[in-house]
Order: sequence, then C-alpha cells, then structure tokens
Amino acid sequence: MNRVFSWLSDRLKLPPILHHLLDEAIPGGASWIYVFGSVTLFLFLMQAATGAFLALYYAPTPDHAYESVKFIQEEVPFGAFVRGMHHWGASAMMVAIGLHMLQVFLYGAYKPPREPMWIVGVFLLILTLTFGFTGYLLPWDQKAYWATQVGINLVGSVPWIGGILARILRGGAELGALTLSRFYSIHTLFLPWLIMFLIAGHLFILRRVGAAGPWDKARAKSVSEPFYPRQVFMDAVAMGGVFLALVALVTLFPAPLSDPADPTDTTFRPVPEWYYLFYYQLLKYSEGPWEPVVTFVLPVLFFTILFAIPFLGRKRERAPARRPIAIGAGALFLVFVFSLLGLAMKETASLKRTDPGVERGRAIYAKLACAGCHRIHGQGAQVGPDLSFVGDVRNRDWLIAHFKDPQAVVPGSFMPPVRLSAPELEDLTKYMLSLKKGPA
Amino acid sequence: MSEMTRRSFFGKTIAAIMGLIGLGLGIPLFGYAVLPTLRKREEPWSEVGPLNLVEINRPKEMDVVRSLSSGWMKTNTVRSIWAYKRPDGAVVAFSPICTHLGCGYRWSEGDQKFLCPCHNSVFDLDGRVLAGPAPRPLDALPTKVEGDRLFVLYQEFKAGLSKKEEI
Repeated sequence: MNRVFSWLSDRLKLPPILHHLLDEAIPGGASWIYVFGSVTLFLFLMQAATGAFLALYYAPTPDHAYESVKFIQEEVPFGAFVRGMHHWGASAMMVAIGLHMLQVFLYGAYKPPREPMWIVGVFLLILTLTFGFTGYLLPWDQKAYWATQVGINLVGSVPWIGGILARILRGGAELGALTLSRFYSIHTLFLPWLIMFLIAGHLFILRRVGAAGPWDKARAKSVSEPFYPRQVFMDAVAMGGVFLALVALVTLFPAPLSDPADPTDTTFRPVPEWYYLFYYQLLKYSEGPWEPVVTFVLPVLFFTILFAIPFLGRKRERAPARRPIAIGAGALFLVFVFSLLGLAMKETASLKRTDPGVERGRAIYAKLACAGCHRIHGQGAQVGPDLSFVGDVRNRDWLIAHFKDPQAVVPGSFMPPVRLSAPELEDLTKYMLSLKKGPA
Repeated sequence: MSEMTRRSFFGKTIAAIMGLIGLGLGIPLFGYAVLPTLRKREEPWSEVGPLNLVEINRPKEMDVVRSLSSGWMKTNTVRSIWAYKRPDGAVVAFSPICTHLGCGYRWSEGDQKFLCPCHNSVFDLDGRVLAGPAPRPLDALPTKVEGDRLFVLYQEFKAGLSKKEEI
C-alpha cells in the first residue's frame, strides 16, 4: 500500500497537494466544535451515493413509483437499509446544517472577510430544503402526495405570482404524473449539480480566507495547528459516530411507506417532515389577513435577514458577550422555532395516540394472513369483505362473536373461525375497530 | 507519546473509521445492486385450465395467461396454444405460430390436419409437415399436469428456420 502510494505520489507530484490539503492552519487549534461542516459534507456524499443506488430500481411515474419503492423496501437485498439511510440521512443533514450554522453564528464566523462564505451557505441551505421537499414526493404514498399538495398550495398563496409559481412547480394545473417526473428530475439531476458547484465554492472560499478560529483574537494568534491530524481525526470520529447512529436508527425505525397515493381520499391528514413542522404549526395560527403574512412575508423576511446577517452589525467584534443584540435575536428565534416544534409534536402525538393493542392486532392480522381474503386500503385480496372502514359498521361484541363462529353470525359465510386466545382476540378486534373513516 | 506515534495513532484511527464507513456502506450497496441480478429466473409455467377440457386427438385452441414479472412490474399477457390428448393420456401442446412465417394456423376437423391459411403449409396431428413451405414441424411446448390442472411452458420460436430457436 505504501509502496503503491509512493510510486503514484512520485509520478503525480502529490506532496505539495497533500501539504496544501492537510496542513491548512487552524487558528486556535483543532476543536470538536468545528466538526459540523465536515459532517454535513459527509452526509451529503452519503445521500448522493444512496440516492444513485435507489434510482437503480425507482420508476418516477404515478403508475409505478409506489410499487417500485415497495419493491426496494421489501424485496431488494439491503433495499430497506439503502432507503432507510437515504431517508434518515436527509434528517441528519438538516440537524448537521442547523448545528453548523449555530456554531458559525455563535462564533461570529460570518463576519468580514467571510461574508461570501455565509451567503453561499444560505444558498446551500435553500438547496437542501428543496432536496427535502422534492424527495418527499417520490415514494408517491399518501403522505407524499398530500404533503406536496399542501406545500405547492402554500406557494400558490403568494400574492400576484403565486398561481403561476404553483403551476410551474406542479408542471400544470394538477398534481400528477408531470409533478412526479419534474420533482424527480429536480431532485436527481438539477439540484445535485447545483449543490456540487456551491459546495465547491463554499470550500474554495474557506481555503482562500482561512478558517475563522476562536473569537478571542489573542488565542487565535498564539496557537495554530495544521488541519491534519487532530482536526481530521475529530471530523472522522464525528462522521463515524453519525454513521453508526444512522445505522442504528435505520435498524430500529425503517423508513415509512404509507398507503399508495389516493387523490380521492380526503380523510388523510398530512403531517410534514419534522424540519418543516414548526412552520406547519405557525400556519395553524394564521387566519384571514394573517395568512399571506405567514405564507409569504415571513419566509421572504426570514431569508432576507439570513442573507443580510453578515452586513447587519458594523463592528468586526466576534465575541458573543459583546454582540448582545445578535445573540439575543438568535436565541429568541431558536426559542420561537422550538416552541412551535414542541407544540406541533404535542398535537401530532395526541392526534395519533393509539392503543398498543391496535398494533398487536395489526401484527396478528398479518400473521394469520387475513389479507389472503380481505382488503384494507388497496392491500389484500377481494374474496371476503373489504375491511378498510370496518370500524364504522361493526362493534366489539359483533366482531368477537363473529371471529369465534363466523357462520353463527353470518349464515353461509365461508370464513374459517379465528382460533386465538381471549387477549389476542381482543387485540385483533381493537385493530378492526381502528379502521374508520376520518380521524380516529 | 512522541510526536511520531501520536501522528500514526491519529492516522490509523482515521483510516479505521473511513474503512468502517466504506465497508458499512459499500457492502450493502454492492449487494443491493448485484444480488437481484443473480436471482434464478422463475419457471414460467402458465396454467391452461382443467385437464378435462383437453380432448383426445382433437386439438383445441386454448388460452394461456402468461405472468411475467420484472422487478416491481407484473404483467399478464394472454397467448394461445393448440392442445390435445393422445389416447395414452399424454398431452401435446403446440405453439400457435406457423413455423413458416409466423401466421396463425388452424385445425381442420374435416381434413384432420393443421392448415396455415397464409402460404398453405399443412401439418399432421403430430405436427409433421405434410405440404407447403414450412421449414420444420410445429413447435411442441413442454406440458405438465398438477392434480387436474394443465400447465404449459409457453415459448415462442423464430419462424422461417429449419431449427427451433427461441425468441
């Protein structure tokens, strides 16, 4: 290995390049607080790799998108792993970007001469959010369809140009085949190229102006340390930790896939991905004249402020203690966002609170292969009655009696009696009763 | 620790972590891309129907539903075969395509022969060429019986050749 390396290094004259890449000076020395940028880059590369592999089996048409994702999730070896890593990797990237921005903000690292890096960074944030929004639609399940419907209609509420913007996004008047192929192309062709150029720009600026280091100028000047080995080591440890955490997450919580998209099912209540939740919550409070404020004025204001941050304070002062307004405003913003997120999560949790018996019943339903005869939301055979909304028409006593002896309750039925213990029968019944139209 | 051993500790740990991530991602991605391509093709036996519909020495055109699956895509196409039972009970099935140029031929009850209307090729009950330009006998298809159901391994062969060559 070493021999091959020195052979290659000799011919390609690598030492000066390696020196340039690895010996970049870090003012104030290496620190764990600087790892978030590298972690974000790592996660982006992982999204690129897993995404390319997902595209091997994915079909971006309403007829086949859901089936192809189900195929990846259930039939392709490691398919659930690859899709899970891509799904949770997206969330992890949001967290990493958030922490990265927080660190840069706290350290005043966006101040001169690093304003261009901050501006490119805000564009990178916008691109990442667009990745999230366009990728969300691709599985073409209920969640995807309805969340995108809502997202595009939000754009549609922008004054004057909203209607046209929504049409351009949707690829027409209705959410359908053209929307899906459009989002797929944006997600897998347009955005990756754009983001790669911007990442290159972000790193180029970093190398031209140098890392910011600590806000204490005396400390920054007194200690300096090359990027390699300690900072690279810390970055690598952080990446390894994030990778293992993602593997654990994927193993414990597989990427979700709900029922196939059904434009006629208006009972479905879409909830966006967590990183849009705070905004979703804010929308609940905006009524009448306030609506355009929330759907248009606030987002525009937010990104304008974000872009303007490096030019707002005149002083080059970086110590947080001497930037009370900036730090106070930042803290206020965080409190605001996290309160909304907390409220949203509380409301969603209370909305979805289900008896654990329902889940056990669902497992029993699967184990007994009830879907061999019955259909629930398009899944299963149509030999026996469709059970999608059985909770609306039957009660507990009827169901229990029927499970025990179907023919006694429905003469002529050819359903075999369900032989289960009393508690299992109770769970299966709870699951049946949970199948209702509208919010349960 | 001396400076050199510190450097080599960092270097080795970094390499180990990169190796872990590389393998942890590389092996699943490789398996994901390659393993499905190595799967054995399913035996595409198609069900024809109840065996008692097939008559002795009286060929009948019967529908076959071919189920093909390519990944997530499942397609059903309807094709037909000519099938009859020999007196000993063995089932004979022919591809419905004339071996000359691919027209559909018919069984003529009066002549007790298979006649192709396009270029007048004529075949006997065993599929042998009796007259006309057909270069080879009718293409027999493998059959099997499970319980009282008849299955056929539906295949199509190139027309116009003296040898059977699957399409």
